[in-house]
Amino acid sequence: MDVSQLLRGTLDAAALAVVAEQDGYGYDILRRLRAAGLADVGDASVYGTLRRLYRAGALTSYVMPSDEGPHRRYYGITERGRAQLEEARAVWAGFSQALTMLLDTNVEVTL
Amino acid sequence: MTPTTAVPPEVTDYLAAVRAALDDLPAAERDDLIAEVEPSILDAASDTGGNVSARLGPAEDFAAELRTAAGLQAPPRGAAEKLRLLDAARRLARDPRMQELRRLVPVWWVVRAYLLVAAIALAAGVSWSLRYFLVPHLSTAWLGLLAIAAAVVLSVWIGLRTPWANRLVVLGNLVLLGLSIPVVSHFQHRQLPAGVVTMTFFEPTQGLTYNGVAVTNLYPFSRQGRLLHDVLLYTGAGTPLDAPGLAIDPQRRVLRTTSGKQILNAYPIRYFDPGTGEVAHPGAAPKVRIPRIATPPLPVAK
Repeated sequence: MDVSQLLRGTLDAAALAVVAEQDGYGYDILRRLRAAGLADVGDASVYGTLRRLYRAGALTSYVMPSDEGPHRRYYGITERGRAQLEEARAVWAGFSQALTMLLDTNVEVTL
Repeated sequence: MTPTTAVPPEVTDYLAAVRAALDDLPAAERDDLIAEVEPSILDAASDTGGNVSARLGPAEDFAAELRTAAGLQAPPRGAAEKLRLLDAARRLARDPRMQELRRLVPVWWVVRAYLLVAAIALAAGVSWSLRYFLVPHLSTAWLGLLAIAAAVVLSVWIGLRTPWANRLVVLGNLVLLGLSIPVVSHFQHRQLPAGVVTMTFFEPTQGLTYNGVAVTNLYPFSRQGRLLHDVLLYTGAGTPLDAPGLAIDPQRRVLRTTSGKQILNAYPIRYFDPGTGEVAHPGAAPKVRIPRIATPPLPVAK
């Protein structure tokens, strides 16, 4: 199992968390995800995810002029996005706790 | 989105390929996505020295991943084929050489106007001007010319007003291009009327010619078959039969009078070996067979 497989199900939550912390544009959000430890996150996956979250109403977007050149599309979190993030937090907390226990070498696992 | 700094061609190509793979999306959405991913591609290009796909994978895969993550449906298969063709056409259109060719488009505007008039004239079976080969005779050749001029004005007007890829214009252009076949074939099979005389003009050649071919040297032989040197030749009017050439070869052995004047009608013309001032083979001559002569010689002129 590699990280990219895990990311597939959790990127929504990760992206929402990054945007909840501070608004950002696509490339900026990508860098912050990487800086947070998700080094393997795919560029296209992040852009696509942001776009989908935006369309679903979890993110809002606005355009800001940039010093470096063209205008940038910034994303911010919406109420719906916050609710989704809260839900993801709860799910992840339960799931990660269970998996940590399962994978703990001191625990015998029988399936 | 127009970047203010120069974008490397690899980035432009990659973005164009991604754009082509997303061609089924609404234009605004697609442009927005392309603008958004551009920093990643610029970054990948600068990190890898231009090899964007080494970092991000093939553009088609990148687009597919973007699409999957965004929850956008992939286009149907047939559309993908069409997109590939469109992409190839776009790539060709972006080629700088094609851009150069695009400057010739006004020429096509004129040509298509003519093709239209010519095709209509052919279809209507009108006669063609004898004096102006390409002009249909609409009661007078002038009226034919006027029709062509009007069509040119109209064609240029359309050309300037409509965008490059307007479907109707593309279709019209294709039809007119097709019409060029009967028009060209008409001119190929058209007989020139008998009254027209074709004249060919030869450029007058300087120096000596024989049957229209330049003669560069003359080799006089005696009746015994001996090659003669420095034979001076004149026409019946006493004009020296000079072979000056356009510029006298510096190696040419030019005879001079006692007063130093050049003699240019002495044959055969001989050439010095470079740098020696010597004619290496004074006897050199074309291989000729001098026939045995029965006619008695004339007395030597005094």
